[in-house]
Amino acid sequence: MAYEIECKDVTYTYPLSKKPAIKNLNLKLEKGKLYGVIGENGAGKTTLCSILRGFAPSFYKGTISGEVLIQGKPLSSYDEQISRKIGYVFQNLFTQISGIKNTVFEEVAYGLENFGVPVEEIERKVVDIMDLTDIMDLAEKSPFELSGGQMQRVALASVIVLDPEILIIDEPTSQLDPQSAESVFKIIKKLKERGKTIILIEHKVDLLAEYSDEIIVLHDSQVIKMGETRHVLSDLSLREHGIQLPQVTLLAEKLRESGMRIDELPITKKQALDLIQEKRS
Amino acid sequence: MEKTFTEKIQINKRNKIAGLYPATKLQIVILFSISTLIINSIKLTDAKLALLLIPWFALVPFMFAITGEFKKSMKSMKPIFVVAIFIIAVQTFIVSGGQTLWHWHFLSIREKGLQTAISLGFLVLNIAGMFTWMLQSTSTKEISRCFEESGMNFKVAYIFTSSLEMIKVFSKRSQTILDAQRSRGVETEGNLKVRAKAFFPTIVPLILGGIIGSEDRVLTLEARGFSIKGEHTHLFDLKKSGYERRMLVVSIIITLLIIAGRISLWRMK
Amino acid sequence: MTKNERKQFSIKEDFSMLALLIIPVGVAVNFVGGQLASLLRLPLYLDTIGTIFVAMLCGPWVGAITGLLTNILTGIANPVNFAFIPVAIIAGLVTGAFARHDYFSVWWKWLIAMVVMGAASILSAAPIVVLMFGGVTGSGASLITATFMAAGANIWGAFIGTEGLFNVLDRIISVLICLAVIKVIPNRNLIKFSCGMFYVKDREEIAEVTE
Repeated sequence: MAYEIECKDVTYTYPLSKKPAIKNLNLKLEKGKLYGVIGENGAGKTTLCSILRGFAPSFYKGTISGEVLIQGKPLSSYDEQISRKIGYVFQNLFTQISGIKNTVFEEVAYGLENFGVPVEEIERKVVDIMDLTDIMDLAEKSPFELSGGQMQRVALASVIVLDPEILIIDEPTSQLDPQSAESVFKIIKKLKERGKTIILIEHKVDLLAEYSDEIIVLHDSQVIKMGETRHVLSDLSLREHGIQLPQVTLLAEKLRESGMRIDELPITKKQALDLIQEKRS
Repeated sequence: MEKTFTEKIQINKRNKIAGLYPATKLQIVILFSISTLIINSIKLTDAKLALLLIPWFALVPFMFAITGEFKKSMKSMKPIFVVAIFIIAVQTFIVSGGQTLWHWHFLSIREKGLQTAISLGFLVLNIAGMFTWMLQSTSTKEISRCFEESGMNFKVAYIFTSSLEMIKVFSKRSQTILDAQRSRGVETEGNLKVRAKAFFPTIVPLILGGIIGSEDRVLTLEARGFSIKGEHTHLFDLKKSGYERRMLVVSIIITLLIIAGRISLWRMK
Repeated sequence: MTKNERKQFSIKEDFSMLALLIIPVGVAVNFVGGQLASLLRLPLYLDTIGTIFVAMLCGPWVGAITGLLTNILTGIANPVNFAFIPVAIIAGLVTGAFARHDYFSVWWKWLIAMVVMGAASILSAAPIVVLMFGGVTGSGASLITATFMAAGANIWGAFIGTEGLFNVLDRIISVLICLAVIKVIPNRNLIKFSCGMFYVKDREEIAEVTE
């Protein structure tokens, strides 16, 4: 069976640049999984996502070698319909609205309009997605007058309403308060339950530890580690590359240093709790 | 039953004239402008004044009234009145040539001045007035939709609407920047040099933000299928009020009558 | 691309997605610039900065559309602006033509460009102001024009004389502002515009690392 996304030795260089922004990228992403992408600033996270969606090189130009396959077919063989296959939520909040719609309802409906979906179906789908993303009460508000958290949910809704099988989400919580961040993650979890393959760039490792299946670690334009979330996030050597590890992992590490026997470091609060209970009994 | 969201975003106008299809309104404005120019060529009295333009202007407020937007439209006529009054005053008292019609101390009205005063002043009032009627009774959403329905590329409609929204966003943003500057002690009052200095740091970040932002917006729109080929759906349905034909026929008849009048005046000579 | 290579331009390439989305930015900058100038009671209009900026980056056609659209939209509030659509279009065309020929990267070239732009603006406005409005439009400068006319000056002379200086000054300041902005735009953004290559920093030696 073909992988949902496969990269074969992809190297990409931006125009005017001599150094590649992504080097020798090899990835095999499976359907229905949530992949967290971490790495310090400038490691190439956003570039990686642009490559998966084809914006690099189609929009950014530059040179690319290697091959990107989406569901077994080369990315270049897809036409504009690719935006219904791969949804992309960008990092910048305020440029994510179409800029021409007066209400959130119309904003969310915009993509479906472009794809020529019948009116009744648009209404039904948009209402469903506004419910899922908890923006029903904003439906008649102007997209220009939303708070950061509201804007991010509207942006998410506008993309997932197209029902893409693959979703790329670039730092959805970087400009949000903790509460809004949590609510965004709840939406992402629901999307995963709907069977979507999700690639998520995120700095908040505590949230990633809880929600993601696998983690891809980038450093200096290359993937330096990739694998099951607990396996990756409990790797203390990642700290050398400027990567933060979950709070509980660091705490457990301190306990281990002070003599407690811990076989596998916990990465979520729940795992830590289990560990403590196990030690007490 | 509760309205669907699609129903809520529709524009429903009670007034049949206000609800005319935007393209029909434009046709009416064009016919009116042609008529105005023809009327301008009819010169009355010995001084050869285009006096008929004055009663003809009554049609403008009349249109405002039957559209049910009298107050709002009259209010937006203000800058046009200013220009017209200015033109009339300057031309009447300053332009020389022809007979002196009236004289008082240093002020004098000459024939030629009065001719251009009435002609230009009322041409501006009439034509700009009728445009005001059209634009005040039509929302930009309707105009944008009408562009597309009349066969223009959907990108034209996008740029039109987006520009309007961008103006609002930028106005708000420039206000914020200006306020921030004031709070940091940058003067926005005082002598010219001081005020000119405040202009630069306000406009530069606006342009810069705009250009960087539009790059992101390209991708946002691509991700939403902006440039997809094929038929787009439109939730907003631009309706006709049913009075289009009637209004157009009336306008054409009036225009033809004016043309006929003009021709018969030539014959009489 | 080196300096000597001639770049080929096409209208289709001119109107890339990015160029299309720059138009609304240009329109809004025109609007806000004019608003700001009158708010700060500056003696210039400064309402063409957006058109000039767009034309400098995207060439004459996109620049012309920016000018056209600006006057259509401001015309919604005051239809008198419709009459000045040709002036707005010409501003975009002239600036864009200079941009195409790389006139904004060397100081003596952009000095020439500024003067020609100012002249084009005044010469395209003159027939409209004189023939349609009799020489005055109610603006601050037209008070001066009116005074000259009252003193017996020829209407064309009075208009071009008064507004000419203001127009050249307006263009100089507008271009300087645009150049200042372009200076801080990163290379990787610049090269996406059809005339952007002319403004790239260190044209010879580009080794910027971008993410």
